[in-house]
Amino acid sequence: MTEYRVTLSNRGGAAYMVNGRRPLLEQLRDQGVDLPYGCEYGGCITCAAKLVEGHVDQRRQVALNNRQIENGYVILCVARAVTDITLEIGVESHDKLYRNPFLDPLKPHELKADIATPEDV
Amino acid sequence: MKDCCGPGYSSPQEAIEAPREKLLYTIAIYTGTGIQKPDYLATVDVDPDSPTYSQVIHRLEMPGIGDELHHMGWNACSSCHDDSSMSRKYLILPGVRSNNLHIVDTATDPRAPRLHKVIEGAEIKAKADLSGPHTVHCLGSEIIISFLGNAKGEAPGGYLQLDKDFNIIGRWENSMGDIKFGYDFWYQPRHNIMVSSEWAAPNTFMPGFDLEEVGYLKYGRELHFWDFEKKVPVESFYLGEDGLLPLEVKFHHNPDSTHGFCGAALSTNVIHWWKNEEGKWQWEKIIDVENEIHPEWPIPLPGVMSAILISMDDKYLYLNNWLHGDMRQYDISDPHNPKLTGQVFMGGLLGKAPQVNGVDVAGGPQMFQLSLDGKRLYVTTSLFSTWDNQFYPDIRTKGGVMVQIDCDPVNGGMKINPDFIVDFGQEPNGPSRCHEARYPGGDCTSDIWL
Ligand code: FES
Repeated sequence: MTEYRVTLSNRGGAAYMVNGRRPLLEQLRDQGVDLPYGCEYGGCITCAAKLVEGHVDQRRQVALNNRQIENGYVILCVARAVTDITLEIGVESHDKLYRNPFLDPLKPHELKADIATPEDV
Repeated sequence: MKDCCGPGYSSPQEAIEAPREKLLYTIAIYTGTGIQKPDYLATVDVDPDSPTYSQVIHRLEMPGIGDELHHMGWNACSSCHDDSSMSRKYLILPGVRSNNLHIVDTATDPRAPRLHKVIEGAEIKAKADLSGPHTVHCLGSEIIISFLGNAKGEAPGGYLQLDKDFNIIGRWENSMGDIKFGYDFWYQPRHNIMVSSEWAAPNTFMPGFDLEEVGYLKYGRELHFWDFEKKVPVESFYLGEDGLLPLEVKFHHNPDSTHGFCGAALSTNVIHWWKNEEGKWQWEKIIDVENEIHPEWPIPLPGVMSAILISMDDKYLYLNNWLHGDMRQYDISDPHNPKLTGQVFMGGLLGKAPQVNGVDVAGGPQMFQLSLDGKRLYVTTSLFSTWDNQFYPDIRTKGGVMVQIDCDPVNGGMKINPDFIVDFGQEPNGPSRCHEARYPGGDCTSDIWL
């Protein structure tokens, strides 16, 4: 089975090997990484991390809006590695995850995927 | 409590005359704060004669992390007052994110509650296809809990029924009808009526609040009236712009009354309903809190009325404006014509009361519980971890606080008690956030009379 290297940039570059079949949250926790989580089905955002390098498959997530995705956020409880990746984990990585909607509204293309309109329409 | 009787009180009047509360329970969360510890149930000493007054005296940690404890409910209330085999012994603490239901024994040692049982979220999903638990009410000897989503976090969810030993019976309702969303509910058995309100699907509200989604009808704006015995919704009121995010639902405590109230959080209005002389349910808006202009923000700021509470004598309605930072008291002796009789600020985004009793308030008034005699209102500041993180990012380092507001139940009026404050920023494992509170002897948000 193909294995990928996960490097945690805000944990001194600690590295872990994972497969592409199971979610990153489960595989990293199994190896002793302390990660926040809640629902474990991709709906509540508690487990969000920032993808600094590489690619994941997170098609099952329903928590992120398009701006959060644009800013690099991935939902570890459902995301699977498809390349070697570098992540920033924990709430330290959440600087751009939360925004005050009265101060900083989303544009129509930045909404969640099910209601967003394409940017150039 | 008399030997002959079950839990609670024979009437609201008897509840008002009950001994003063000495302990209070509030949940406190670490979910979403960055601290990798379980959420817990805190026991707060509220007896002014005690050496540990205004302190957390016990913490019961949940078995796992990431629950997001939120609201709670009793296994039994005054609706079982005639049943001497029942007692108000267990507090049920749902985890909104994990779906676990924690059953906590508060009677064996009220100062140090202990975990009695956990109903796993996975079992609830498998047996009832539900997630996102919210309001707990007992129902005679059984218990029903509103859930906001199905197992995948999609609306409208439904109601889980438990037996008195906390076994899953299954879904309570016979139909959800055309209901789009769930949230809170309250029932008035003498009129065979239950009213339920609407927040949003778990997948919508749990990640945080995208205001823009309100316009896409991802958040509720209806109230639903149920035939309580048949367990089916029979009538819905579309509240429109006046009722965006209708959250907390309260009937008068008087079991003969048909008057009830709901706080529409985003519209920041109070909706009143009642049954008219022809036997038809009517509704009207009775309180409308104006938006405030924030000097630096493009969108006017609503109050965000996330909770309401009715005093045990049905004379006062209390409400919060979580973003503006004020708690208000209205005299609702005439429920059609409420009169503002008290207001205090604690925190909020308008900068009117950044500190209370020397403690920074990184949040606004949020949940509150009133003493049975109507004189002491305990108010906490955190709403929900992801929403806190959006509006009050400082709460991560400062934690929540619990404030006591002294209320005048005769002439009206509120003022902050100078001797009481619980700073959850100083908790041993780091800043946590407190939310709903309950008293061991029953409170103003649980008891229903048959
Ligand atoms: S744990 Fe809820 S989205 Fe991952």
